Amino acid sequence: MGLALPFGTTLPDNPTDAELVERCRRGDLRAFEKVYDLHAARMKSLAFHLLASRGDAEDAVQETFLKVHRAVGAFEENSALATWIYRILINCCYDTLRKRQRLAEKPISREMAADNKLTMKMALERALLALNERHRLVFLMFEVEGLKHSEIAGVLEVPEGTSRAWLCEAKRALKQMLTGPRT
Amino acid sequence: MIFECRDLERALAKPELLAEAHKHLRECEDCRDQYRLWNEISATAKQLHCEWESPDLWRRIQRSIEAEQKTPQRWRTQWNVWAVTAAAAALLVFAIVRWSPAAKFGSLPEKKVALTADHGQDFLTEQALKEVQKNEDAYLRSIQELSRLAQPKLQDPTPIFVSYQEKLLMLDSAILETQANVSQNQFNLRLQMELASLYKQKRQTLQDVLTNGQQN
Repeated sequence: MGLALPFGTTLPDNPTDAELVERCRRGDLRAFEKVYDLHAARMKSLAFHLLASRGDAEDAVQETFLKVHRAVGAFEENSALATWIYRILINCCYDTLRKRQRLAEKPISREMAADNKLTMKMALERALLALNERHRLVFLMFEVEGLKHSEIAGVLEVPEGTSRAWLCEAKRALKQMLTGPRT
Repeated sequence: MIFECRDLERALAKPELLAEAHKHLRECEDCRDQYRLWNEISATAKQLHCEWESPDLWRRIQRSIEAEQKTPQRWRTQWNVWAVTAAAAALLVFAIVRWSPAAKFGSLPEKKVALTADHGQDFLTEQALKEVQKNEDAYLRSIQELSRLAQPKLQDPTPIFVSYQEKLLMLDSAILETQANVSQNQFNLRLQMELASLYKQKRQTLQDVLTNGQQN
């Protein structure tokens, strides 16, 4: 059942962040749906890499949108909407991981690609699990999901140079894991 | 600059050193292999992006949002009923205490937070809420000032400051979530105390950053 909307104007094809935020604040579900259309695919993929489960990734995306709905009134428009949403998503994923630890669940076995020809891909997936959290996050956001360093810096609230340095350290560590240390 | 093999990875992270790196790559086969792998990691990473259909996900989100949008109205109705009941109960207690010979009004602190355990939850009075909000504003101002002072130290890439940065990130997330919960239920004492505790932790962390910054 859809809620009656408090205004009748249609959403522009390419709304700005400010327009989306304003409409989200007024409870316009079409604005939330637009945000979902713009970001859900990348959000699911990032959450999947952090949680290793599609079901949990979808739950994290759902929880993120609920938190966005609750807190959009307090959103400070000096940061980008996407940056804020990804920050909430990452925290939702960490909450899920903490819950798993509390419940002493067995770690979920990664849903690997079935194609066993993709050895480099599988090796990289495994190596990623051994990276520390900040290196993994930066690598996933930049190399896998295609976010820019400026966006990653906003999500993690670090300077852009730090994001670049962490990516370089991540790739160096991955390279070592894939080939052994360079002599 | 004399470019050596060990400079390669550092150079790949710095656009201004890329020209030197490429010059070196033309001459060094070992580094060319390393560079190939470096690029292969990036190329393979693109394949890790995974997409799948989730036809029900938006509907689930929509239902949850709609349910939340309805909650405040229901909460307000319940609050009105509760407030009338609580006021009547408070009047009754006041009357009993006022005319009891053992009553000692002088011992009651003036601005003490008013509590009731009727519903198994602690609630703030309007007056106490104003006090809490006033104190919160003062706390936020002091945190803002500390954040400003600690900012240069937090950009330090040494492990201790990176771990402070991570801790602050977690605290900000928890504050954001608790603020959202408080905005739904401003009179809930437990939530207000949780928020105050998070502010305190953030202030302490920022003070630790500054203290460590002075020692280093």
